[in-house]
Formats: sequence, C-alpha cells, structure tokens
Amino acid sequence: MRVLVVDDQPLNCILLKTMLEQQEYDVVVANDGAQAIELMKQCKVDVVLLDVLMPVMNGFEAAPKIKELAGDVYLPVIFITTLEDHESFEKCLAVGGDDFIHKPFDRVILSAKIRAHARTRRLSQEANQQKKQLEYHYNQIEREHEIVEHIFSNALDQSSKFHKYCDYHLSPASMFNGDMFLMAKSPMGGFYCLLGDFTGHGLAAAVGALPASRIFYAMVSKGMAVNDIAFELNGVLNTLLPSNMFCAAAIVELSESGKSVSAWLGGMPDLYLIDEQGDVVQTLESQHMALGILSDDEFERTTIHLEVKANQRLVMATDGIIETENKQGEMFGESRLKEALRSRHNISTEQVIQLVHSFSEHSAQQDDLSIAIINCLASEKAQQAPIVYSKIPFEFGVQIDAQCIVSTDPILELVDVLSKIEGVSEHRSNIFLLLSEAYNNAVDHGVLGLDSDIKNREDGFIEYYQLREKALTQLENALISIHVKYVPKDSLLEFIISDSGSGFRIKDSKDDNLQLEYGRGLRLLQEMSCDIQFNVQGNEVKIVYSLQ
Amino acid sequence: MSLSKNSSADGKILTIQIRGKFDFNLVQSFRQAYADVGEQTEKVVVDLRETDYMDSSALGMLLNMKKTLADSIDTIQITNCRPQLKKILQISRFDKKFDID
Repeated sequence: MRVLVVDDQPLNCILLKTMLEQQEYDVVVANDGAQAIELMKQCKVDVVLLDVLMPVMNGFEAAPKIKELAGDVYLPVIFITTLEDHESFEKCLAVGGDDFIHKPFDRVILSAKIRAHARTRRLSQEANQQKKQLEYHYNQIEREHEIVEHIFSNALDQSSKFHKYCDYHLSPASMFNGDMFLMAKSPMGGFYCLLGDFTGHGLAAAVGALPASRIFYAMVSKGMAVNDIAFELNGVLNTLLPSNMFCAAAIVELSESGKSVSAWLGGMPDLYLIDEQGDVVQTLESQHMALGILSDDEFERTTIHLEVKANQRLVMATDGIIETENKQGEMFGESRLKEALRSRHNISTEQVIQLVHSFSEHSAQQDDLSIAIINCLASEKAQQAPIVYSKIPFEFGVQIDAQCIVSTDPILELVDVLSKIEGVSEHRSNIFLLLSEAYNNAVDHGVLGLDSDIKNREDGFIEYYQLREKALTQLENALISIHVKYVPKDSLLEFIISDSGSGFRIKDSKDDNLQLEYGRGLRLLQEMSCDIQFNVQGNEVKIVYSLQ
Repeated sequence: MSLSKNSSADGKILTIQIRGKFDFNLVQSFRQAYADVGEQTEKVVVDLRETDYMDSSALGMLLNMKKTLADSIDTIQITNCRPQLKKILQISRFDKKFDID
C-alpha cells in the first residue's frame, strides 16, 4: 500500500512520512501538484494526501488531474487543510476530493481514514478486475456466437424454393433457436419437412440441430421413409445429447402426387389437417416419445398415413405456441390455436404468431415459437440436367454356366458394371428389366424347360417358383451367354442373350389379358426396347435399347 | 434386397416396403408380408421408395396379392415409384388395378 504525500512544507512531509512508515505504509513525497502528477506516472499510488496551497500547481488544480490518471479504479484523494470554512470544503469536494485531514495531524484519525479509503480502493480494484474479466468473457462469447451463428445459418439454410409447399414462422426466444424446421425434396418428388423442439432454448438447445439437419437432408436425398429417418435421428441424438435433453419432432412426408401424407410424430403437440376455412378435418396425435430417449431396440417406427386433398393444409407447431401465457398466467392453449386457424381464410403463420403475441400482450417471449403450415400440393417436375454419355464404344460378353446360374445373380452384377459407363446409370432400372426378362426366359424356359402355363393354375404362381427352385438344384449342363455392345454414336445398347436350351415357342404377346400370369414380361420387353428379335430356334434374343 | 412391413397406429393400413430389387427372389417373403392381413386392415400400401429394380415377376407377385386379398381389401396402393418403375407399371396397365400414387 503506497501513500503519496503532496505538500510544499518539508516539515509536514517528514512528519507524515514518519507517521505512515511506522504503520508499514510505503510513502512517496512530492512538493507540488505537478511533481505529484509526474510521480504518479512513474509509480503506482493507492492513497493521495494533498495539500491545498502549493506553488507551481495547487491542490485544487492537481486533484482532477490525479483522479483522471487513476482511471476506472477508485483513488482516494484526501485534502490536507487548515481551512475550516464550508466554501473551501465544497471546493475540495467539487474538484474530486474524497476526504479531509486537518493540521495538526491526529495520528489515530489519519490512520483510520487511510485504512478506510485503502479498503474502498481495494474493493474498487477487485471490482475493476472482475469487470475486465467479464468484458473479456463477454467478447469471447460474442465472437464464438458469431462463428456458431454463421455455421447454423449455413447448415440450416432454408432456401425459399419451398414457399409454395410451406409457410413457416420461427421466432427464437434467444439468439439461437432450440426449435428447428427443415425442408427438402426427395428424388421421387416427395416433400419432406421436420419440425423439432429441443429441450430448453438458446445455444445449448440448438447444438443438436446440426447433426440432426445433416442426417435429415442425407436421408431425404435417398428418399427414405419418415420412420427410418426418425430411427436414425433418434440413434444419433441418443448418443450425442446428455440424458436430460431430447427433441420432440414431427417428420412429415407429402407424396409427389400431393394426395397422401405420412408422418412420424414424437412428443409434439397435435397436428391439424385443416380445410380452406381453417376448420380441423383431422387431428394427428403424437404416438411416440421424443427423439433421443429410447434405445434402438425400444424405438417404435409406427407411422401415421392419411389421404389429403389439394385445398387442405397441415398445421404443426411447437409447444411454445400453446404454452404462451398472458399476464394472468393463462395459456394460449389448443382451443385458441384452433380458433386462430379459423379466424381467417387461408391464415398465414405470421398472422397466427401475431395472434399469439397479442394474447400474451407482447410480454417477453418465454420459449421458442415455431409454426409451419404445409399446403397439400402435387410436386412440380424438377428440371433435369441433360445426361452426359461416355463417347467410347465397347462390347463385352459373359458366359454363365450351370454352376453360376444356380448360385449367382448375374443380372444385378451386369447392371452394376454397365452403370459404370458414364450416363448409362440413369437407365439402370430399364436395363435391369430388359436383361432380367431375357435372362429369366433363358433360364426358365430355355435351360430348365418350365412351362408358363403352370402359373395360371390355382396357386400356380407359387408352385411355378417352387418347381423352378427344384429344377435348378438338378441343373448340370447349361450355358447362357450374354453379349453387350455400347454404341455411343447411335446412343444404343445392344444385348444378345442366348442359351443352350433347345428353344421355346414364343407365346402370342398381343394378348392384353391381365389375368394371364405370363406374357407380361415379353410385352414389357417390346415396350421398353426399340427392337427385339428372336432367332428361329427360339434360344437367342437380340434386344436394342435406345439411350435417348 | 429386403422387405419390411409396418402397420399404421390404428391397424388400418399395412405398408410393405421393398429395398433394392423386387423380383421372384422375394416370392415367399412378399406373400408372408400380407398373409396375416386382419379384418381391421383397410388398405395395403406397397412402398417402392427404395426399390431400384423390378421385373415382370414383381408384377406377377403384385397381381397375386391382389387376387388373394380381393375379398378383404378394397385398395392396394403402390407409392413412391421412381419414374422408370412407374413407366413399367403403366405399360403393364397396373393403373387400372392398383392405386398408383
């Protein structure tokens, strides 16, 4: 603890210095205000004893400068004075003085005053230290939040391309949203969305949204079913989240035709299917626990399916909406929500949120508020990028012997090989169909000599395949060869499939009778290929498929 | 290649989902999937969202199901077909016998 004594009279200085040093204070001395300020710039001072009348710079002038040098931390300035009038006291206070000590000095009073002021200074120093720490942490958190916010906004980016299907409104109670709303379209044209509500709100609640969104987008891009998506999300959140945290969720898929909805609902308030007037046509209750609670083998996949019409809309909202309280502590509740939906023709989510806010009389929001309304619309065809095809012509052949016929699935492998040719992969379902029909004809009728008529008997369909299986186990000498030629200049694929059988009669394929259990394959071959020819013997077929 | 089935919460809809390849290799398991269709089942959905390939044997299996369930089920819906599979169903005029979504 260092005391600065500022006095132009050497005797006073010596007296004070001696008295204070006896009490273990470190003492520095200046003879006028200017010297005092110089000294303060050089060394740290905790208490200043300041004479009023001094040459060069008097106490009244020096005091504000000393205070300024002290900065944010309290530096007690105690005036040494012989003046007794009120006016002088007031002036001392006005220039920043904190206290007075009268000459001649009373040792007890001086020491008490210095101790008291020193204590205040210590508290002020501590407070200042804490303030600096707080500022540091605050800045640190601000910076971290900015980074996280950036990541979130990129990860959960909701492009506006779905505005036709869906109107939604999210209003987080704090900077980060513990609710999430995700939308995506599958390759089959189905529209998917997920409304999730993590326990609590703010950043802690929002972290789960990152892994959840990745999984959602990845699985929708594969066109997975809603319960499979729920299962996957549940597994990941169960692993990642602490046990007191979970995520209520509604995962909904609107089919490409816009006519059917399937939904997996866990721990969410009821969803409503409403008509144009806003009347509830159907209520969908959650059947499951929220995501992130149950283990994989406890998880339930049951899904809700419903048929919907074009003018109907599906409303989903997190519990923040119905649990919003007004000043009387009353909740918004389900009946007010239904009333709100009815209050206007084709109400928007924005309007619903406004009604919720006016109900709560605009008091501070307690939880994240999220609501989404899906329009049950058929999917619009997405513009497809033109397919690029390989320019290299090539051909190859495979010989499939009895052993391979019995033990392998050559068509799937062949399709996989062909799919490696640039562009051909887009046609793999059709190529599979052509090869599968031709190959199975070769196996069933060529090599095994089975008769399709069996399929028309009572239970003949199953019998046929049982016979086939039995015949395969007895197969010894057989060969099926498949020749494939890729002709890029004509955009064609040619297949020649021949078998070692004695040939079979081609049944009349013009018969459109759906009841017949055979002939469909051949008609499919004719429809899907641009040319198909059998040899006279009936054990070789040439199929030409156009890639255009 | 695999098959899974799933009943809706109210037991009214049975969904059969086929992954990968839909052909005669599934003949037994496909038949088993609808073997225990009960009285409360109103509708069967064949979900082809994960089906990459099908051939005429799959069509045969679908018709066989239709025949077996004719007395108990009104609608059999085939959903989430990829475009090429949808075309196969259309060529085979399956839209006349099934509800293709």
